[in-house]
Amino acid sequence: MTKPRYPGYDVLAKRNTPSWDEATRKVVDKRLATPDRPRFLTRDEWSVAAAFCERILPQREDAAPVPLAALLDAKLLADHGDGFRDADMPYMREAWRRGLAAIEAEAKTRHGGRSFASLSDEDQDRLIGAMADGGLGGEHWGDLDPQKFFKRRVLVDVPGLFYSHPSAWNEIGFGGPASPRGYVRLDGDHRDAWEAAEATPGHEKKAERDNRHVV
Amino acid sequence: MLSNPFSAPRARHGRAPDVFRHGAWVSMREHRETDEVDFAIVGTGAGGGTLAALLAEQGFSVVAFDAGPYFRPLEDFASDESEQNKLYWTDRRVVDGANPIQMGGKNSGKAVGGSTVHYAMVSLRFRPEHFSARTSLGYGADWPISWQEMWHYYDLAEKQINISGPLTYPWGPKRPRYPYRAHELNGAGKLLAKGCEAIGINWTETPLATLSAPLSGPEGKSPPCAYRGFCRFGCTTNAKRSALTVWIPRALAAGAEIRDLAMVGRIETGPSGRATGVHYHREGEWHFQRAKNVVVAGYAIETPRLLLNSADQRYPDGLANSSGLVGKNLMTQSNQAVWGRMDEPVRWYKGPPSLAITEHWNYDDNKDFHGGYIWLGQGPLPNEWASIQTGARGLWGQKLRDAMLDYNYMIGVKMVGEMLPNEANRVTLSDDLDQYGLKVAKITYAWGDNDKALIAHALEQMGRSIEAIGAKGIFLQEDDTNHLGGTARMGSDRRTSVVDADCRSWDIPNLWICDGSVFPTVGGVNPALTTQTIALRTADRIGQLAAAGEL
Amino acid sequence: MATTRERLKASFLLGFRGEAPVARGGYETAPIPSKTEIVTAARRLNRAAGTIAASVLVDSAMEHYRGDFRNKAMWTPIVTSALSIGVSVHGHVDGRHGAHPLRDTVYVAAGLTGLVGTAFHIYNVTKKVGGFSWQNLFYSAPIGAPAAISLSGLMGFLGERVRDNKPGTRPMVAGLPAGRVVAALTGASLLGTTAEAGLLHFRGAFHNPAMLLPVTMPPAAAALLVYAAVGPAGVARPASRGWLAATAAMGIAGVALHAYGVSRNMGGWRNWRQNLFAGPPLPAPPSFTGLALAGLAALALLVDDKDD
Repeated sequence: MTKPRYPGYDVLAKRNTPSWDEATRKVVDKRLATPDRPRFLTRDEWSVAAAFCERILPQREDAAPVPLAALLDAKLLADHGDGFRDADMPYMREAWRRGLAAIEAEAKTRHGGRSFASLSDEDQDRLIGAMADGGLGGEHWGDLDPQKFFKRRVLVDVPGLFYSHPSAWNEIGFGGPASPRGYVRLDGDHRDAWEAAEATPGHEKKAERDNRHVV
Repeated sequence: MLSNPFSAPRARHGRAPDVFRHGAWVSMREHRETDEVDFAIVGTGAGGGTLAALLAEQGFSVVAFDAGPYFRPLEDFASDESEQNKLYWTDRRVVDGANPIQMGGKNSGKAVGGSTVHYAMVSLRFRPEHFSARTSLGYGADWPISWQEMWHYYDLAEKQINISGPLTYPWGPKRPRYPYRAHELNGAGKLLAKGCEAIGINWTETPLATLSAPLSGPEGKSPPCAYRGFCRFGCTTNAKRSALTVWIPRALAAGAEIRDLAMVGRIETGPSGRATGVHYHREGEWHFQRAKNVVVAGYAIETPRLLLNSADQRYPDGLANSSGLVGKNLMTQSNQAVWGRMDEPVRWYKGPPSLAITEHWNYDDNKDFHGGYIWLGQGPLPNEWASIQTGARGLWGQKLRDAMLDYNYMIGVKMVGEMLPNEANRVTLSDDLDQYGLKVAKITYAWGDNDKALIAHALEQMGRSIEAIGAKGIFLQEDDTNHLGGTARMGSDRRTSVVDADCRSWDIPNLWICDGSVFPTVGGVNPALTTQTIALRTADRIGQLAAAGEL
Repeated sequence: MATTRERLKASFLLGFRGEAPVARGGYETAPIPSKTEIVTAARRLNRAAGTIAASVLVDSAMEHYRGDFRNKAMWTPIVTSALSIGVSVHGHVDGRHGAHPLRDTVYVAAGLTGLVGTAFHIYNVTKKVGGFSWQNLFYSAPIGAPAAISLSGLMGFLGERVRDNKPGTRPMVAGLPAGRVVAALTGASLLGTTAEAGLLHFRGAFHNPAMLLPVTMPPAAAALLVYAAVGPAGVARPASRGWLAATAAMGIAGVALHAYGVSRNMGGWRNWRQNLFAGPPLPAPPSFTGLALAGLAALALLVDDKDD
């Protein structure tokens, strides 16, 4: 496992600083408190979604996990999507319902009745790869184009959920919420005291120290 | 403690939110539905918001409708990409064609202030020849307004919006000094500049509708930009000069009424063939507002949709559609980009995303295709950056997560390019219904050969520029578009256009269209300033016509 | 009018020793300043030098902190201005005659620091993309700022020269009447500082009418000082003194106005960690106060010290 780029950086440490306003605190608090149980999806759909999302954005052991299934469920429950659909695609909720069902059916057909969630990472990735490359289709999918479902729905929705989570911001060294406080030092190689410090080679300890004072 | 801007209208009971002060209100004149107001304006963005202010200031009675909520930027906007999805028009729509347009943040807004609430504030003038593209450059269509006249109204728009820009703009005819100085460049802006210098073309600081110094205007007190970088997700600083912070407060002060969460579904016409008012949905039911004039300002999708949805016995093909052009000639702008990794951190999340610009290829005519383009510095926040990795590179899994680790080292430059009008690119009605029970828009789009040639040229030039400054692992984002135009074009011939130079429909003299849909060509620059400029001119013309008794 | 102009021109050409009929006529019997008066004038200049140095100390500390002290040389103005404050205080409490070698050394060093700093800042601008563009003049290392520490050194140095005059003689600097030299140099310095304030207030688009004060009052003060430098000596010039006092007060009021400016930025004073740097610089305006104090010292010398 590679070492974190921004060791000890926690964007949540800025929660009570001028970098976060009340509206932001409310929104992120709510996101972090998303119930970890199906509310829109069925239990079966949830278990496929959880395993599936885990392959789209694999979790790291050393970082706080991002509960993708819960976040996806919340997004579908609220029906907070981009609104439009491609002419040959259903709207978001229906696309996910049908897509998850088809993935599960594909898994069962290919792996002797085993559910998608029970497959090895490699088998799951192989199935997803086939979907991404246009190698899936047929009876399980009806008129839903699997490749289009993957590109227009999965790759639009899931990464957006992951990179809306503070844990992901920590990982990539994003400054996170910034209001009313913005930034003074606008150059990239020039960080404000409330920005993530990077562990450049030989300066890991200093980065860790700086990141403790990111407030 | 805060009220939910979506749950109930805020502009009512004689008051509207004061966007500049927490929890405060400004007084608002209200009109009865039975009053025949001078103007009912549908939409409060760059076109409708501007017009509402300017018409009210001339003493006309004005009611402006917006389907979206009346946000208080200081209280309702979070510093969060996905939460701020609430600023976009995410009602149902169907996209179709060889190159379906992805709808959302880059081409729509559903809020009082319209998409200016989340636009990137890039405030550019069309190149003079853009206004006579057919005659001067041999493509597209001519505008019925001369560039000199537009230049005059651009002067007014830049002054009233209070643009921050460079002291001298390197391209085009002379323009007055921008009211405020250009902003400090961030890392991404400096790299764009270096890239341009490396390939021998000019660059400058982007004229932006965000303040580089405090402003105490009649509309309220704004602090300067805090460089927080969330411009495209709503400005919590109020440094952004959107319709919500510039024109709407002026409209209210001059006696206009704003109706938020009010979706106009149909324009009514009377026995004389003139418009008599609008049907709108607010607080769970349909209402009718009588009006002497109706202005449609819903942008290039919702404007034709409303005109088509308003078809009646007299106008079976929709209103103002005797030319058959309503909905046709939809144009978007090419928004391709090149991205690469630098050896030093860039941290492009700081500051407005597009602080630097080159307009070189708008003014160079030695190209083997029509039209021009600009490119701008970029600063996508994590969600958008992830969507670029998945959309342009097809990354997923560990590869996606690993690629995202380089977030702070990335740079990119993104074009805004001209796409040519084509009648086959159009807005029609789908059989899908939205939450109001109205037919939704179906948007059909395909790029033409010229569009593709322009994109290829831009990708090559942009690639050269970032390669020259040492960007590594360069990749192209080939499938992206942004702003819209067309679908109700203006012109000087009623057979080939929907409205005249004054934005007045040829067919129905008291029906006006004032937004990006009147653009005969989209030009190679971001359109918001031009839309506001058109509204400034339209307001003047309406005043003159009224004085002459020709309304 | 023509004769006045000719007379002024002549005074310049003759190194302030021109035949000044007014002075010759009316004030020949004015007393030669006492030891105390020479020291008083020198102490005034020490205070001017100290005030400017204090402005530089805080301003350069803040701006160089913003610049992360990425170059060790960025500590130089902080050390030098601190030393300049130290010797200025020393000069202020020192009632003795004669220049002090340590004070002189520090003041000279401060003067040189400013010159080297200016070179550094120019280099910083040239290596940025865009070179000598408005962008870099506005937002890169400010070219005019290091000159302030030179001015502190200059005022202190002048103070030492004044103090170096023998008791009971007319104070001279480099063979010229001290009052005229200090007046002329202070006038020039005020113009330089005005240019710096003008550039930054232009960057701020003069969004507040008060931002016009530092580009109007100091040039007028400079004009009055230049007039005093070449005009008759031994005149009280109450209006000029009043104007300089007002300019000094403006420098202090500027701090308050800049504090208001900080509060006008997003988050106001609660967001001080950003706004102290993003907003107008609190320590900058007192540079004008320091120079106005030097101007007052010059006028006092001119009153006391008839030079013909």
